[in-house]
Amino acid sequence: MNHLLKVPVLAQRAFSISARQLKNKVPDAQKIFQEANGLPVHIKGGVRDVLMYRATMALTIGGTFYSIYWLVYCAFPHSKA
Amino acid sequence: MAHQAHAYHMVDPSPWPLTGAIAALLMTSGLAVWFHQHSMILMAIGTVLMLLTMYQWWRDIVREGTFQGHHTPPVQKGLRYGMILFITSEVFFFLGFFWAFYHASLAPTPELGGCWPPTGIFTLDPLEVPLLNTAVLLASGVTVTWAHHSMMGGDRKQAIQSLTMTIVLGFYFTVLQAMEYVDAPFTIGDGVYGATFFVATGFHGLHVMIGSIFLAVCLLRQIKHHFTSGHHFGFEAAAWYWHFVDVVWLFLYVSIYWWGS
Repeated sequence: MNHLLKVPVLAQRAFSISARQLKNKVPDAQKIFQEANGLPVHIKGGVRDVLMYRATMALTIGGTFYSIYWLVYCAFPHSKA
Repeated sequence: MAHQAHAYHMVDPSPWPLTGAIAALLMTSGLAVWFHQHSMILMAIGTVLMLLTMYQWWRDIVREGTFQGHHTPPVQKGLRYGMILFITSEVFFFLGFFWAFYHASLAPTPELGGCWPPTGIFTLDPLEVPLLNTAVLLASGVTVTWAHHSMMGGDRKQAIQSLTMTIVLGFYFTVLQAMEYVDAPFTIGDGVYGATFFVATGFHGLHVMIGSIFLAVCLLRQIKHHFTSGHHFGFEAAAWYWHFVDVVWLFLYVSIYWWGS
């Protein structure tokens, strides 16, 4: 249990180094997302956004049909062979 | 380029409410299919869809607020109301389980031996790990307040350190509670005692995990310079949620662990 007392000291050491090295990229992101290109925010970030959106929508539509398949399956009696 | 003549946020059309609703459909119907047809695929698709929806929806909110500047003071006020209302609904959720506990424990039935704790139940000692858990969560309440004051004072390094400490304490609570669950001399199936104990503390533990994830996201955003000393509502919302989780534990500890032992 006593070794846990070292956590604050270690955190201080670890984070004071990494915190200084991280450049503030918020202005760059602000430029990208404020560009007047008419894109909605969910795909305004680029190719990665579009791919993730398409994968999500594929699961949404595919999943809906799959749930209807199970609904129809469960609606009919099945013999226990 | 068109400019709005008001301070409110007219959101871009978004697919996430639809994908989220379908995720709920797939998770619930998937649960039924798992029970009756022994197939977990539908439920798994629903879960993945829910996680994708949550990630992209909240990512978009960060973009709208931090990168596009849509979170003006009136908009932030609305977000504050929203978070308060959500936490209030969670309070009512837990109230139900406390009602169940007090209903069962204030007038124990003959089947339990007419006493509380019921005959045959060996309760956990409230002065052992449960007391440590109380200290851990109370300490995490202090560290999250420290993080807030650091943030308001523009002290980036201390904000990161204290927020990290809060998350570590939350994780420590979860590990301790998991160990308690494994070593408990009673199970969820042990009558109304087991049921009220594990459902109430179980949902609380789930909320600790959710709160820890929320705080971890805030830590990541703080490191990436998203928060300013005057505008950091995402973090405040996480801190409010964390205090709520802490208060629920205090009620659990006093009612179930202490009075109920």
